[in-house]
Amino acid sequence: MSQRMTRQDLERILDNAVSRRSFLSGLLAGGAMAALPCGLLRPHPAQAAQVWEGGYQTFRNACPRNCYDTCSIVSYVKDGVLQFVEGAPESTFTRGGLCVKGNSYVRQVYSPDRIKYPMEQQGRGSGRWKRLSWDEAMDKIARKILDIKERDGSLLGLGLTKYSGNFGITNYGVEGMMSSLGYTTRLVGTPCWPAGIDAQNFDMGSMWCNDPEDLPRARYVIVWGANPAWCSVHSMKYLYAAREAGAKLVVIDPVFTQTAAKADEYIQVRAGEDGALGLGMARHILDLGLLDRDWLAAHAQGFEEFAAYLRDTVTLEWASEKSGVPIERIKAIAEEFAGAHPATIWIGYGMQRHVNGGAAVRILDALVAMTGNIGKPGGGARYGHLQTWGFNYHALLQKQPEGSKGWIGTAGPKGEFDVTGSAGKVTYSDRSLNINKTAQMILETSDPPIRMLWVACKNVLSQDFDRRKMLMAFDKLEMVVVADLFFNQTVEQADIVLPVTTPFEDWTVNASYWHYWLSLNEQAIAPLHEAKSDIQIAAALSKRMNELQPGSCTFATELDSKDWMIREFNKGIYDMFGLTSWEDLRNGPRKARLASSASWADGVFGTPSKKYEFHSDLCARNGHDALPRYKDARPPYDKLRLLTPHHKFALHSQFQNLDWMVDFNLTPCVYMHPKTAAARGIAEGDAVRVFNKQGEVRLAARLTADVPADTLLLYEAWYKGLAFNCQELVDDTSSDMGAYKTGAPGVAIHDQFADVART
Amino acid sequence: MDWNVVLAALRDFFAASDGQALLIALVDLNQASRGGAAVPFNTPAADDLEFAFNRLFVGPGPVSAPPYASVYLDPDRRLMGAATRRAAAVYDALGLSSPLSGSLPDDHLALELDAALAFRTLAARRQDDQVDALWRYFLHDHMAHWLPKFAAAVAGAADVAPAIGFAVGLLSQWLAEETKSTPPNVDQSGGLA
Repeated sequence: MSQRMTRQDLERILDNAVSRRSFLSGLLAGGAMAALPCGLLRPHPAQAAQVWEGGYQTFRNACPRNCYDTCSIVSYVKDGVLQFVEGAPESTFTRGGLCVKGNSYVRQVYSPDRIKYPMEQQGRGSGRWKRLSWDEAMDKIARKILDIKERDGSLLGLGLTKYSGNFGITNYGVEGMMSSLGYTTRLVGTPCWPAGIDAQNFDMGSMWCNDPEDLPRARYVIVWGANPAWCSVHSMKYLYAAREAGAKLVVIDPVFTQTAAKADEYIQVRAGEDGALGLGMARHILDLGLLDRDWLAAHAQGFEEFAAYLRDTVTLEWASEKSGVPIERIKAIAEEFAGAHPATIWIGYGMQRHVNGGAAVRILDALVAMTGNIGKPGGGARYGHLQTWGFNYHALLQKQPEGSKGWIGTAGPKGEFDVTGSAGKVTYSDRSLNINKTAQMILETSDPPIRMLWVACKNVLSQDFDRRKMLMAFDKLEMVVVADLFFNQTVEQADIVLPVTTPFEDWTVNASYWHYWLSLNEQAIAPLHEAKSDIQIAAALSKRMNELQPGSCTFATELDSKDWMIREFNKGIYDMFGLTSWEDLRNGPRKARLASSASWADGVFGTPSKKYEFHSDLCARNGHDALPRYKDARPPYDKLRLLTPHHKFALHSQFQNLDWMVDFNLTPCVYMHPKTAAARGIAEGDAVRVFNKQGEVRLAARLTADVPADTLLLYEAWYKGLAFNCQELVDDTSSDMGAYKTGAPGVAIHDQFADVART
Repeated sequence: MDWNVVLAALRDFFAASDGQALLIALVDLNQASRGGAAVPFNTPAADDLEFAFNRLFVGPGPVSAPPYASVYLDPDRRLMGAATRRAAAVYDALGLSSPLSGSLPDDHLALELDAALAFRTLAARRQDDQVDALWRYFLHDHMAHWLPKFAAAVAGAADVAPAIGFAVGLLSQWLAEETKSTPPNVDQSGGLA
């Protein structure tokens, strides 16, 4: 028979469950299969489930990365394997399409490079890795935690640093895991957007942006320090729609970005001088009387004081000199902006990553407010929002074990997503340290020192500032545990690494800080290898903690991730999204039911005065100017400004490691103006070093007039297998604001300086 | 050489999760292939062997030679590709399945070696044309398509521990002898598959 049976015959048989199962039935009946010497494969039960020949199963997922767009995803699964993903068509924001990064998700799930098992490194950075079972890993970690408690009498020696690698609501179970162990040390704050958050809180009482889907109603749009063509591709359709409806699109940025290339006009502002440009515009608007006096009278306080400041201090000549923008252009865009109704400014996160970033955001807010554009559909000072994040935070809110000791004093917020609010005076609290000075904090903290660091949803060695100092700080730590998907520069410096799930392998729910859609994230496939989600890791740790010392951890020792996802919902979320049950989200993402697409549409603000506060006593009490006055930029400490934004194929240190991205973005390079290069004898493609007081990086030179002559630009990203790291060059100098609402000031990522030379 | 013993030892080697298991498999391999004669390299310490093994096959960093068929047979160089499903289908036809299916891809080298052992055992017990055809298919149209690429990936990696080179060498030797002694099925076109 084998003489007649062809390969094609066999493949037909193998591809069909019935023929496959009956293929060797004679042999099976004859008992020939008994006692095969298999060590791994097992005889399958006669009635084993067969799911192979079905069509695609579809699942609802969400992209949980730190991105404006937070896409709603439909996942297609066949035979238990994720085959492809696409944007959910039900969301008018995602509108059926994903970005390049989102479309690469299947590569992420099934990359042979994924971290597969818990492993322990014998000597950080040594590459001497041993596999651990989950039980072994949890035992080592639990014993270390108990050792710390024994030695210090508290768990303040246990530190957590976590940020935006996965914004799933149940991922806040990492913070919950820490609380369930006791009072610990938290690296708090955010490297992303804190100065702007504080600024908007001082001005309006909250950070609350218009629905981005109302952008087509704008008659004039300024995108200021943001690059949505790369970083919010789904927003671009609204900008295009606004233009098609007659709006003018202006981009203000030190760099000629891809968004600038799509705009009607591009204004190249000197980095860090956005405030000066904004004040120049404000002065001109004031001079021409293009104010919305009715709105100001009804809804604002302190405008006259601001106007007096403008008249007394700000001139167009000064603004032009500071910002590098010609007076005529300042006048023109000021007149156009004030003359269009509604007009809006998209305030990007890049422009507030400066020592005067919060002050600059307040100035841009003021521009929008004085022209009567706050509270108007199509208007607004658009920065972000957390309006749709009112979950229960069941995973996050865990109780410390009875008798836990901790930090004595006042507890502040632990980041922008801290829903617990300031606890005020409490007996004990966690010890909060500035996440943007993580290295310094670890080095200088004592009594007790941070002995153990848990890293989740974060690539510390790639994203935190002053890498050299961070390596020194890690040397001080007795144990580093990292939970991650891929072997990055932080895992390289870990003692124990734990494999985490991709978004497709466990349940959660996701909201956006930009649009107003809510997405269910279903488990679409079984976790590959031995990966666990953050809350499953917490449960595993709790189990071992309680075995070793009953009562030492209050986290559930076993949990159902779906059940924990369901527990995050409440009536407020149901009402906001018009849901009768979370299961409604299985039919597709849902958008919040908004009274208006505009934030602050009723003109009642969240400030102490309930008005828009040009003069904010709260701001003054927090150590800043009460008015949106000019604040000096950081003085240069080297010849050229250094900008390190993220690449279009990467999200901070995520995605760039995938082979599909490497195909398009093989190696890091530094962009510089041809004049800058010529002055240093540098040609296109030359190997160069970029250096400053912090350190240096070596990479290839790319010449372009898209960057100013006084600027070097290199993209942050973690490249698999390459030592490149832009944080070699970035120090941890704080931005002005952020401490009020996020617990720590931001960081002046774009107030960095360096020089370049051929190697 | 008793290839069944070699196959079982190779399976255990590639399924090992610690240095001790690797050493035990190595001793078995040596016993089966060289009658226990001294191996032409210093027996490594268990930990060193484990570190080297993990660098090549496990991680946590990117590995030079992922031991999964689909990485070499799927045009996208990914896990859980068409080759994974094909391996699982072969096990299914044999009445077998992996208890780790879903978490450990079915085309992991250790699982495939386990299946090869099953095929060889069945063939020795009773002549059966269907088993024979399926075995030829699995050997020639699946394993022989990727194992040489896998061996080449190991050979091309930096600092391969001699013990690992020894195991992969035996794997290649087995494949060469097995494919020679077990001719392929005919193709639909009448040629050899």
